[in-house]
Amino acid sequence: MKILIAIGSKQYSKPTLHLGMEVAEAFKAKTTIIDVGEKVSEFSSQLVELAKDQMESWDFDPPGVDVLEWAFNYLSDNNLIDSKQIETGFPKNRLIDDGEDRKLVYLSGTVCEDVNLILRNGDIIAELREEVQYGNYDVTIVGKSQKRNMSHDLLQYINSSILVVNQYDNEKFKRVLLPINNEDGSMKAAKYGIRVALAYDIGIDILTVSNDQKSINDENKQVDKIKKIIRRSGVEYVHEKEQGNTVEKVIEKAGDDKIIVMRSSDMSPLKRYFKGSIPLSIMNRCNVPILIVK
Amino acid sequence: MLGFSNLSLSNFLFWATQKRWFLYTIIIGLVLLLFPHPTDLTRQGYIAIIILVTSLILIIKEPIPLPAIAIYMLIAQIYGGIDSADGIAKAFMNDAVFFIMGSLMLAVVIIRQGWDSRIALGILKVTGNKTSNIAFGFLFISAILASFIGEHTVAAIMLPIGMTLIKYTSSDISKVKNLSAVILFSIAYGCLIGSVGTPSGGGRNVIMLNYFNQAGITLSYFEWMVKIYPFVLIQLPIATWVIIKTFKPEYKILDSSVRKLVIKVARSRSMTGRNTLTVMIFFIIFIGWIFFSEVFGLGTIALTGVFLYILGGFVRWNDLSRHTHWGVIILFGATISLGTSIRSTGAALWLADQVIILFGSMMETFPFFSDLIVILITTSMANILSSSATVAVLGPITMNLVPDMLHIGLVTAVSSAFGYFTAVAAPACTIVYSSGMLKAKDFVKIGLRIGLLSIILLMVYVHTYWKIIN
Repeated sequence: MKILIAIGSKQYSKPTLHLGMEVAEAFKAKTTIIDVGEKVSEFSSQLVELAKDQMESWDFDPPGVDVLEWAFNYLSDNNLIDSKQIETGFPKNRLIDDGEDRKLVYLSGTVCEDVNLILRNGDIIAELREEVQYGNYDVTIVGKSQKRNMSHDLLQYINSSILVVNQYDNEKFKRVLLPINNEDGSMKAAKYGIRVALAYDIGIDILTVSNDQKSINDENKQVDKIKKIIRRSGVEYVHEKEQGNTVEKVIEKAGDDKIIVMRSSDMSPLKRYFKGSIPLSIMNRCNVPILIVK
Repeated sequence: MLGFSNLSLSNFLFWATQKRWFLYTIIIGLVLLLFPHPTDLTRQGYIAIIILVTSLILIIKEPIPLPAIAIYMLIAQIYGGIDSADGIAKAFMNDAVFFIMGSLMLAVVIIRQGWDSRIALGILKVTGNKTSNIAFGFLFISAILASFIGEHTVAAIMLPIGMTLIKYTSSDISKVKNLSAVILFSIAYGCLIGSVGTPSGGGRNVIMLNYFNQAGITLSYFEWMVKIYPFVLIQLPIATWVIIKTFKPEYKILDSSVRKLVIKVARSRSMTGRNTLTVMIFFIIFIGWIFFSEVFGLGTIALTGVFLYILGGFVRWNDLSRHTHWGVIILFGATISLGTSIRSTGAALWLADQVIILFGSMMETFPFFSDLIVILITTSMANILSSSATVAVLGPITMNLVPDMLHIGLVTAVSSAFGYFTAVAAPACTIVYSSGMLKAKDFVKIGLRIGLLSIILLMVYVHTYWKIIN
């Protein structure tokens, strides 16, 4: 399992980094923390590089290095990296420029596999997409953005599961909400949900939503199979059957103290592009962390 | 769908989203091509205008790399029948492109010579520790240097000096936000103001000189300075005052930080013989620009300097090549060739006529009105486009607006430096913005004030001082 945690600033990224590292610990995943800096106009990019060289000769770090240093300090304070590296401190002078417009720091994790820090510059979606393709990440963890199309672009173009950290407070984090149906992807979402539930020692609320009263109590083999797996994992669960609009019901049930784990839409990318999708609508409107499993 | 996998469809959608401005541009270009060309404009002229419009959109939105835009500009002119491949190639490379190439390369050499420490000491010795004096010192030195060696070079040299002074005042940047703005804007705006002082201050000045030459007008390095340099000097105290008033700095006196900076600079390595030699070579280039640029061209002299630096081993070719943005050089070459085509096809004259049709009566009633229009158009374009590209595309058009080509051409060149409003307008602004200590809205806040004042000052200046010296 490989996890990519996207941070953007010391001011706003703490919940993302916190939940991200908790998930990394739960999945024992190889983890990369990435900061994507602002895109520089191509007209001045070379001159800005020259100016940054000059700044370094006066002991100034290029923008973004301070964010990586903050992430390193967070990892140190929580003993998430090897003690020797904590003693050495943030190796800002040993940032590796890999020639692909990325600056890297390799660290050894304690609770999860290796932890890497990466600094990139450019369009956030394009850079995350490239990093996910390059590193074959299974889950990308990001904070909720105020930008209008950010959620859409994340779901549409990032080829990994997406965890959006929204108003995260681990004190309030009570249950996993698992909206499922008869489709294949529900099983994978359930497996992720079980891992999260086990990590936090919390239960799962399975939610199935039907359009009409008649189909509410229909037998559903896929749901039964998922219930069986959850039971075998030793996780306590409740199955709620609801009738109505899926988006409204999921948001209502999630309240403000659950983490939603659900599968991504199986519509074609073209349809999703123009019509949107149920996971996207939920992601845009909910007030809790949401993991969309692809 | 149609045998395409979801992944390939997703990849295509991503490509289309990233390149949407390229797709819009192509559609706009094709739609314009379908329209009949105006009767008083040749087909070639009409196509040149379409290429101009589409290229401007591409340069502003950058959906494809700059070299790709340059290639588009070149091949579109050939396929559009504006000129033969040889004709376009001839206009592509000229002294202005030599100068831009030489200037970018000289920046790589000069920045690494340790002049920053001497400059810092020089400023602080003269200004003392009063914040307003220090701001003026930064603005003044940036302007004077930028008027000879290019704004991007000076901004890169001055930025760490300013940042060190800020850091020594407080390591918590949130406590010295206004002071940071004062120091960094003094550097950026000093560079912008100074960059028009002499022809070698920026590529746009050389591009305009190139257009003057094509129109049979000669203007020497020294004559340019006589006409423009007083305007640079007038702006300096006014700009300092506006910056200080806009961002009232948290500290009026920077006593301890100045002392710390002086100590740091004093501890840095002293000038070596090689550093002195680089200064001497630059002085030779400077003398060459003043006395021989009319014969050999500013670009040729700049490249001679680069040649001497490589020959003397002051810089390695790999270093020069790595830090020189070849894409920008190719783009300026293509933009200049398009500017030449706009002039030769009669498109420039036609576009100027449209402006005259719109504002002709106002221009006749108020003689300064044509200047005002040119300043406003140039300033607007320079804030969303590069200033050199602005002059390259606007120069041939504005020079057809009024009979006095020299007057209006210089107004265009000077106002192209009013890129105060955005962080992307000029390299100096982008460089100080890259420090991470300024916000984009800071540029709007101060840019509007300085921009407006500069426009008014320029209007008064050209209608008083230029009349006196003429």
